[in-house]
This record gives sequence, C-alpha cells and structure tokens, in this order.
Amino acid sequence: MIFPKWTNWLPLTLVVGAALAGGAVVTGVAVYCTPKYTRAGYQPVQPVPFSHKIHAGQLGVDCRYCHNSVEKSWFANLPGASTCMNCHNQILKDDSRLAIVRDSATNNTPIPWVQVHKVPDYVYFNHSVHVRRGMSCGKCHGRIDQMDEVRHAKSFSMSFCLDCHRNPAANIRPVDKVTDLGWQWSTNAVEAEKMQEVNGKKFVHDWKVESLQSCSACHR
Amino acid sequence: MKNNLNNSSSPAAGRRYWRSLDELADTPEFKDWLHREFPVGASEMVEDGTSRRHFLKIMSASFAFAGVAVLGSGCRRPEEKLEPFGQQPENYTFGEAQYFATAMPTRTGAIPLVVKSYEGRPIKVEGNALFPGSNGGTDRYAQASILDLYDPDRARRFTHDGKTISREDALSFLDTLSKKFAANSGEGLAFLAESSTSPSRARLQKIIVDKFPKSQWFTYDAIDSGIHQRAATQAFGSGVRPVFHFDKAKVILSLDCDFLGGEDDAHNHIRKFAAGRKAGEGMSRLYAVESLFTLTGANADHRLRVAASMVGKIAAFISTWAASRGAEVPAPNRDFESQWAFNCANDLLKFGKDALVVAGQRQPIEVHLLAHAMNVALGAIGNTVTLIPATENPSADLKNFEASARNALIILGGNPTYNSPFLLGGLKEITKGVATTIVRLGYYEDETAEQSDWNFPAAHYLESWGDAATSDGTLVPIQPLIQPLFGGMTELEFLARIAGWIETNPHEIVRETFFPPAISGNLLELEESWKKFLFNGFLMDSAPRPINVQFEAIPPMLDSRIQPAKSVTPSAQNLEIIFYRDAKMDDGRFANNGWMQELPDPVTKMTWDNAVLVSRKTARELGVANGDIVEITLNGRSVKGPIWTQPGMADYSLGLALGYGRERAGRVGTGVGFNAYKIFSGKYIETGATIRKTGETHVIACTQHHWAMEGRPAVREANLAEFIKLPNFAEEMHGKEAQPIKSLYPNPLDEAKKTALHQWGMSIDLNACVGCGTCVIACQSENNIPIVGKDQVSRGREMHWMRIDRYFTADPAKENPADKFKADEDQQFAEWIDDVQAVNQPMMCQMCEAAPCESVCPVNATVHDQEGLNVMAYNRCIGTRYCSNNCPYKVRRFNYLDFNKRPLTELKGTFYSTTLTHKTDGEWDLLRWWKDPNSGMRSEDEWDLIKLSKNPDVTVRMRGVMEKCTYCTQRIEHAKISQKAKAGGSDNVRLTEAAGTIPKTACQQACPAGAIVFGDISDPTSAVSKLKSLPQNYSVLGDLLTKPRTTYLARVRNPNPLMPDYREWPHSFEEYEQLNGNPFEHAKKGNG
Repeated sequence: MIFPKWTNWLPLTLVVGAALAGGAVVTGVAVYCTPKYTRAGYQPVQPVPFSHKIHAGQLGVDCRYCHNSVEKSWFANLPGASTCMNCHNQILKDDSRLAIVRDSATNNTPIPWVQVHKVPDYVYFNHSVHVRRGMSCGKCHGRIDQMDEVRHAKSFSMSFCLDCHRNPAANIRPVDKVTDLGWQWSTNAVEAEKMQEVNGKKFVHDWKVESLQSCSACHR
Repeated sequence: MKNNLNNSSSPAAGRRYWRSLDELADTPEFKDWLHREFPVGASEMVEDGTSRRHFLKIMSASFAFAGVAVLGSGCRRPEEKLEPFGQQPENYTFGEAQYFATAMPTRTGAIPLVVKSYEGRPIKVEGNALFPGSNGGTDRYAQASILDLYDPDRARRFTHDGKTISREDALSFLDTLSKKFAANSGEGLAFLAESSTSPSRARLQKIIVDKFPKSQWFTYDAIDSGIHQRAATQAFGSGVRPVFHFDKAKVILSLDCDFLGGEDDAHNHIRKFAAGRKAGEGMSRLYAVESLFTLTGANADHRLRVAASMVGKIAAFISTWAASRGAEVPAPNRDFESQWAFNCANDLLKFGKDALVVAGQRQPIEVHLLAHAMNVALGAIGNTVTLIPATENPSADLKNFEASARNALIILGGNPTYNSPFLLGGLKEITKGVATTIVRLGYYEDETAEQSDWNFPAAHYLESWGDAATSDGTLVPIQPLIQPLFGGMTELEFLARIAGWIETNPHEIVRETFFPPAISGNLLELEESWKKFLFNGFLMDSAPRPINVQFEAIPPMLDSRIQPAKSVTPSAQNLEIIFYRDAKMDDGRFANNGWMQELPDPVTKMTWDNAVLVSRKTARELGVANGDIVEITLNGRSVKGPIWTQPGMADYSLGLALGYGRERAGRVGTGVGFNAYKIFSGKYIETGATIRKTGETHVIACTQHHWAMEGRPAVREANLAEFIKLPNFAEEMHGKEAQPIKSLYPNPLDEAKKTALHQWGMSIDLNACVGCGTCVIACQSENNIPIVGKDQVSRGREMHWMRIDRYFTADPAKENPADKFKADEDQQFAEWIDDVQAVNQPMMCQMCEAAPCESVCPVNATVHDQEGLNVMAYNRCIGTRYCSNNCPYKVRRFNYLDFNKRPLTELKGTFYSTTLTHKTDGEWDLLRWWKDPNSGMRSEDEWDLIKLSKNPDVTVRMRGVMEKCTYCTQRIEHAKISQKAKAGGSDNVRLTEAAGTIPKTACQQACPAGAIVFGDISDPTSAVSKLKSLPQNYSVLGDLLTKPRTTYLARVRNPNPLMPDYREWPHSFEEYEQLNGNPFEHAKKGNG
C-alpha cells in the first residue's frame, strides 16, 4: 500500500484548513484594513450632550473660544467648565442637562469627557504649528460644525498625515480662515481647486512652509 | 567582527591610549573582548541556565499569547477620559512647560536653579542663567536631585517607635515638646543639624536658643566644607570667607584641593577655571600637589604625586622659597620634589598678584593658613582671592554632645548614625540610662531613623519654601514646584513648631525674613520686590562687597605651626588613608539615587561601588591586585573593601570614598560598596593604617574597559608654545584617508541640505571640559534614560547616551619596550603608569553625515533628516544591532531587558525574571499585563512615581530597541515649532542666535565649563560655526570619512619649561609620534 490510511482524510483536511485560513485572512482584512480600525467613525456618548452643531455651526462661536490653547500648545485643550459658564450663567442657567457643568464650575470637579481624536503616543503631533500656518481644523477633524455629537471623521493613519506633508500646497489656506470650517476659495469647485493650487504654492513659498517627511518631524 | 582596529602597519607598535590597567595587559581575553560588538555577555542570555532551546520554547509560547493579545487589543477600543479644569486657571497653557526659579541648598552655599515643570510635575533642573556670572551650568548633584523627589523609598509617614501615626498626632507631640522645654528653659535639649546658609533657619535657630537658653545647638557635617571660612577667619582675624577667582588667576597652585571635583561649589570653580583657560596666550597654568588622582590633577599642567600628609611639607617648601623671593637656589642634586617645588614657587613669584594658592577641604587648617600666607605674600588678596564678610552659625562644641542631650535630641536631616559613628555610634548607647527622646526630621527612613523614637518625613527642596545664600553671599529663594508628595515637612516648619510659634507656614517664615516686621516702606513696592526676588531667583546686589582685612598670622605660622618634620612619611606598614567626598554619593545622601550609582566615577569610571584606591607600587608591595578584598585596620577599627589600582596615586596612600555601604538606604542603595565611615573619626587624612588580604575577591563594574579606541588620535593635545607655532596641529594628526571614490549612490543629505532651514552641529572644547560628568546626568534626566544595575553594567549594557571617555597617557621613554606588549598579567604593574597624564573626552552620537549605522539598518529605522540629524525611529527598529556593530564611535545603546519596567529590587541580581514567572504586588504579571498593557513589573509605589519623573517630550523606549543621542531633538522641534507658530503667515521661520531662538541641548545647558556648543552650522556667524573654523578643530576618526557633525577642539596644555617634569609635547602626542612618526614631517612631504 503506497498511501497509508490517513491520507483518505487529506482532501477534507486541506479543504477545512484552507477555509479556516481564508476565513482568518478575510477577518483580518475586515478588522485591520478598514478605516474602522484607525478609529474613523468612532462616536462615543459624552457625559454632557454638548452640540458643536449649535455652538460652532449655528451660533458661530470660534473654535478658539473654548479650545484656547490650540495656537500655543501641542494640545487643543478642552475648556474648563468656567468657560461654559461665561454664557450659561445667563442662558439656560437652570437647564438640567447642564447640571454637571454647573457642578464642575462650582466644585472644580472635572467633567469626564470621552476622548475621540487620538494619535499614538509615539506621534508628537502639535496643534499650534498646524493651525498657525494655515492648516484648517477641518482638515483632520472634518465638519465639526455640523456634528451634534463629535465623531472621528478621518482616519489618523500615518499615510493620512503624509498625504498632506508631501504636498502642503494642496491643503494650506489663509491663516485667518483656519477655524472657518465651511470656507472655500470659491463656491465653484473647479475654480476653488485652481485657486488652491495657485495660492497654495504661493503660501508655501512665501511662508517658507517645509514639506517635512523625515522621522524627526513627528517622532522623538 | 574581525577587523584590524589598528591603523598601523606594525601590530607590535600597537596602542598609545589606554584606559585601564587590564587593557594595558593586552590579554587575549581583552583582545577578544575588544573585537566584540558589545562586551562579553552583553549579547548573551542572563545566567539562569536557560538554554537556547528552552528559550525558544518559552518564546513561542509567549508569541502565541501575544498574538491573542494583539487580536484582542485590536478589537477593543479603550475608552479614555479627558478631564479639564472645572475652573480654568489664568495664564496656564496646558501642554506647555512652565519654568520656576528656585535653588538647591548646599553645605556652604546654594545653586540657583530654574526648574521645568510640566503639568505641575518638576521634570528637569537647569542652572539659573540670569544669576550674575552664571552660564546656566549646574553640577551632578543638582541634576540628579530631581530623581530623589520621585524616590519610592523616601520617608512617607510619621512614625513613633516604628509605628505609623497620623500627622496630627505627630504635630501635637511637637507642641507638647515645645511646651515642656519652654517650662524648663530647654534643659537637656540638644539639636543636631547640618550646616545651612538659610537666613530663615539662622533666624529660627536664634529664636530657639533664646527661648530655650539651656539647650545646645550642634552643627555637624560628615563632609566638612566650612574649613575655608574657618581658616580665613583665623588668618585674617575677622569673620571672612574666601572667594577664589580662578578666572583671573594666571598661575594656580592647588594644595590637595580638588576644586574641580570634590570641593563644594565645584561648578562655579569649573566655570571660572575654564574661562581662564581659553587656548592661547594668557591661558592659566595649574600646578597640583595631591595624592589621590582627582579631576583637578587630571586637568593640571604639572602634578606632583605625594602623600596627602606630606602636602603640608611641600607647601612649606614652596612658601619658604616664595618668602625668600627666590634668593635661595636649590642645589642641583636636590631631589625631584624640591626641584618641582622650587620652580613652582618661582613661577608663583613671577606672576605675583595674578597667582593663586588654594588648599583642599581635607587638608588640616595649617595648610590653609599657609595658602593664605602665600596669597598675602604674592599680593593675590583682592585680586585672585577676595574676602567677603561671613559669620558662622553658632555651634556648640561637639565634645559636649553626649552630655547635652539628656532629655531630648532633635536631629534635622543628615544621617549621623551612618556617617558619624564616632560621634553617635549608637545613639541609644550614648543616652542609655537617661530617657532621651530622639526626634528626627529626615528624608529617608534610614539608619538614623531606625534609632529615633519619632520620625518626621522631610520635604524635598523642590517641595519647600526656603531661602539660602550662594557661595558669594547672594540671597536666593527656594520655591516649591509641587506640594509635598508625602506630606513632608520643611526644616523651617519643623523648627517653628518646636519653637512654639503660631506661624508655621514656611512661606510666611521666609517672607518674614525677607521683610522683617519692623521694616517700613511702601507695601506695594515691597510686594513687588518680593515677587521680583522669586521671579529672578536671587536678590540683585545682595552679595556682600569684598573687604580689606589685615593678615594676622604670618610669623608664628611659618615658624611653628607647620613643621615639615612633624609629618611621618607613609610606608607599607604605616599606610595613609584619605577619606574623600565621593563624586556621586556625596556623603551618602545620594546612595538611593540610581542615576548617581550608575554614573561612572569621573576618574576611576567605576559604577555601583567604591574601592580601596592604591598605587601600582603599593599594590605590588602589599601583594594585592584589582578586586582583591582587603581588610584595612586603623586605630583598632577595621573595614573590608576591594582593591583598585589607580594610576597616578601616591604610594602608600589608600583612597577611600565615603558614602557607600549603606545599610538602610532603600531599594537602590542598600549594600552597595563598603562603609568607610566605620574607620573614620572626623579626620580626612590619617596615617597608621595596615592592610590584610582576605583572599576573597569582588567584581567591580567599571565602564572604562568599554569601547577603547585602540591607537587612534581620539584626543589631540599640544603644549601652548607648540600650539602657537603650529595652531593646526590637530588637523595634521588626521589619519590617512581612504582615497575618495565617486559614489554610485549620492548622499541624499546633500540634496536635502539645499532647502533645509538649519544644519545642526556641535563643537566640544576639550580644553574646557574637565570631565565632571554633569552632562551625563543631565542627558539621563532629559532623555528618560533608565538605569540598568551593576550586573548589567558589568556586561556592558549601560544605557547612557553620552559618556566621558577618560584616557591615561604616559611618557614613552619610561615604558619598557621589553615587556610592553606581552600578554603578561604583571604588566598592569608596569612602572610607567605611576606618573600619567589624563584626558577627558565627552562622547556621544557624532551625527555623521555619512553615517555607517544608517547604511546597515535593514529596516531604515535610522536615517537622516534634512537638517543633518541622524534620527532613530524607535517604532521601526527591530533590534538587529547591526547599527551598533557598524558604529565606529560605539555610541549606540541597546535596551536589552526593558530596563524602564524593571523593578528596582532586580537591579542588583544577575537574574531577570519575565512576566511569565514574576509576580508583582501578589499578582501574576501576565495577568496584570493582560488587564493593563502599560503596567510594568514594578510595584505600584515605584511605578506611579517613576511615571511622574519622565519627560513627556521624549519616548520612553522599550526592550529590543536601539537608542542613542538625538542632539535633544525634542528641544530642537520645540524651538522650531514655537518659531513657526509665532511666524504664522510670514517667512520668519528660521531659528537664529541673534534672536536667541536656537535651543540648547541638555548637556550643553548643564555644562558648567561651557565646553559644549550646539547650533546651526549653516549660519557662518553662529557660535558653533566660529568654533569649528578655529585651527584646533578636528573630527574624531575623521579619516573614516564619516563626516561627523560633532567636532572637537584640541586640548592645549600650558606647562612651565623650567619644571623637572616638563616635556615639549604632551605624552599623548609623544605616543602618537612614536607610532605614526612626526605628523608635521608628513605634512611637508605632502603625505598628510
């Protein structure tokens, strides 16, 4: 007998094995190779039902009113409750939804907001240098001014960063338009693209914007 | 790796620099060791009997675990909270560091500091550059002191009879104590304190003495630096303290005075000394008479090696000749020492008021008086030495100590049980029979705490309000950076409570000293002056002016007090012992500081140990070799320690570093080294010791074996006269370069350079560097560098990103060619090592433009950025270590055992447990890791504190990753980002020296000598560019065409041609010449 008896099971083993391996590959791709894995789409429930859509969108409060360290620090801070109370001691001052905020401002107990946007610890991203040099908040955070509950709009993968770093001219805008998330060069898309190309190149040249692609730009 | 490290054609003509006696031995083991990428054992598994097969089994199991874990962590998204302030504080930007001025108190002064605080945590100590005269440099102790703040072993609780009690109970005990002694005027009450320059403490001391008139206050320091003031006071008849101006002196004579190393305030001396030693005409000359080989001796132009007890005799010779104004000429047959002393005296006379004589802290007061007499005779007072009025805090005579503390003894800081056993051997013994209560305020629960009835935890100076005066008398504030982590108390609060004061808040006490209640004036202005005092970190113009005082004591002193015949020459049967302040432990207070334990001693390069330092001759006569444990007996008491043969030591002298052998230091310091205090009786130099070999041996972890650069002109030196003739001598010593072939692959940096904003470079002045090691600790603090423990150091796994190489060089004529290069153990006792010259060279990543490490990295983890930095991407590194293998400077460090997560208790062992077998806080580590991947194997108390101490701008590297000096890339990036954020929509993005925006590296900022200069070399006007264009600029191993960005300025010595030990060229050059021929002749032939 050339083939021992167990070889009868060989075809089945191969089929089952191939199916398992294939399944693992499919699962792996589905889990790891989608934006979901890079947190895009993440939208946790926050302790206070704060709506950016109302505050930033409808009321037009500038991003920097609350996130006031964004131009000075690597970190775009969350406002202290005292900042909220600047308005809310007049408006909706007895609203039950704001009970936590009032408590926080009075007793100096922090509000446990859930972090949405996050880069890995080995990435030293700095907000100030981006927003001060014509990079709009919306480039990374999406249209926050249209979100009720903040959602992780874009994938923060390394290639996402590099797309811009390789070609800053395509993304740069006037410094005073950084927090104006809906701003465009023109309402005409073709025109806007053309103006972006011309002006973007001009900004990159005039402001000496570097196209930083070496490791030391982000990793230390 | 078997390349020929020798660039000479004749292997027998081998090396010229050598770094240790063992290296000199040239044993096959050493050869083999040298040729390895890392030292023996560094790349092997730990010695726990794990075979390779077993290892693979374990690893495959853990990979399986890891696979599951990765899958798991990929699926879950840990929810993280961001918790902002409830009430936003004003002027606080989250994420930006804040800086506060404060000061670190020392025994006779204080170091003005600016401390970086991040999110309320102090993380880095820097010198206060605003302080008049300061360059922002600090010393090792100040740099390392921040780790003490986060020491998990520091005292955290109030205890009574060893039991934890509440703070309230402890404080009410102080009230009772205060009331009790107020009733009996302090009968039987004694205080034992360390010296302090705090005006507030002096005020409280006075109040206490007034309130308890019968109490006694004793001031005692194990390392007594007050002798300078006492000697000057005695010599000049009024309360004065000398301030030495090494920058103004043209000739300096050090009488066993290690002013660059062991003396208090060394960082100031180093700064001034370096300022007076700029290579070129007018640089100062240093004569050193000493027995230990100290940093001062290493930097001296002429060093006389004599026993410490004979220094007084030499000083008397010199002063006699100086007094006779050179009239007496020594006979030609005079011995070497007399010739030396005579010519030194003549040189001092030649420079007159520009000369300076200093006597060392360990020398008896007579030698200090002689030094003052000489300074007076030379006219140096008022020029190179100034005297400022100073009063010593009153202290009772220590002889009365035992009798005084019959009722209660209050110990402020210090550790007398450990460091003054002759004084307080057993406190309980002394006070037996009488019910003495011992109350102690201490930073650790140490040896003294064990003997005390009540223990109060002390606050760190970074947690305290206080004040102090620097060595020149300027008043400086001590401001807290953080609330006491464990409720510690400051000395001021403690004393105020004992004094029964209502006001016990140290902040108020300090303010009250600053503004006495009687003061009149505009309150608003006073408040502004207080704020300015805190903001600046010093009180402008508060230093007392130098005064003119009459010298009182010449005639009696020269006649009677110094009797050269009085000193007995030491011999093998009558050995001399020198007790010296350790460069790292100080008097033992830094014993539990891992950074200090692991810092290689500046001279011996030993870590985690002290040793009995002996000369070659002494070792031979006593029949001992390195590592032999001997028993030293002095005055009937004995101690055991290992022998270390130190080149340049005086014969029959034993050098014993104080501060080791702690019994209750903590997890790091307990049991490290041996305790020399056991035979110490308050005198730093004693004769009459004997030695007995015990037959045991001890392994000493010494980094000086590591990375020897065989036979290459790493450090280049010339004497001043030759340097003036041939200023570019260093360049001539450049080895023969390989013929450049046009590269097939152009260096990408050449293209990237064209558009980059800056090009970073560094210049290190070997003439300024004294080798103190402050930069090494500063780098460790800035860059989150872990400690690895003694066993790992002995395997060559230390993690320091920068090191200071110390080479000894010797006179080739004294070397005996017959036995020079044989593999003979006896060669470590070769005669020519007796008188050596030493050179120091800071060595870190040279940022080669054509970096050999980059071309061998298989994963592109180390590459260049456009500004010329050789950067490491830790996340890419897979740990092949090829880069380290290919680095000619051996400056890359590999994290073998996840040293950041390793528990302190495992620092001393040879076995490193894994998460598979280890339990932390009673829980299996794998389980802990599963629950929280960020948990280390360290227990909670360690882990919480160690996290606080880390610099958040620098990645904490994990196991299996290569790391190295980055030129402090985080500081560069911070500076660049700040400038760009400031520029906004403009092109003002370049950092310039004119605008003061160029960052300083941590080593540069800490260096008291200003030896390290970093900057933009694409700017021809920058300081670093100017330094690099000096003729003495050279690259180490530049002949390998690595094009290092770090270059060195050659060292220039300034010897006196009339001295008996004068040589036309330094030994290092002579050795170079012997091997390679005269470089200048090569140059003539066009062969250079």
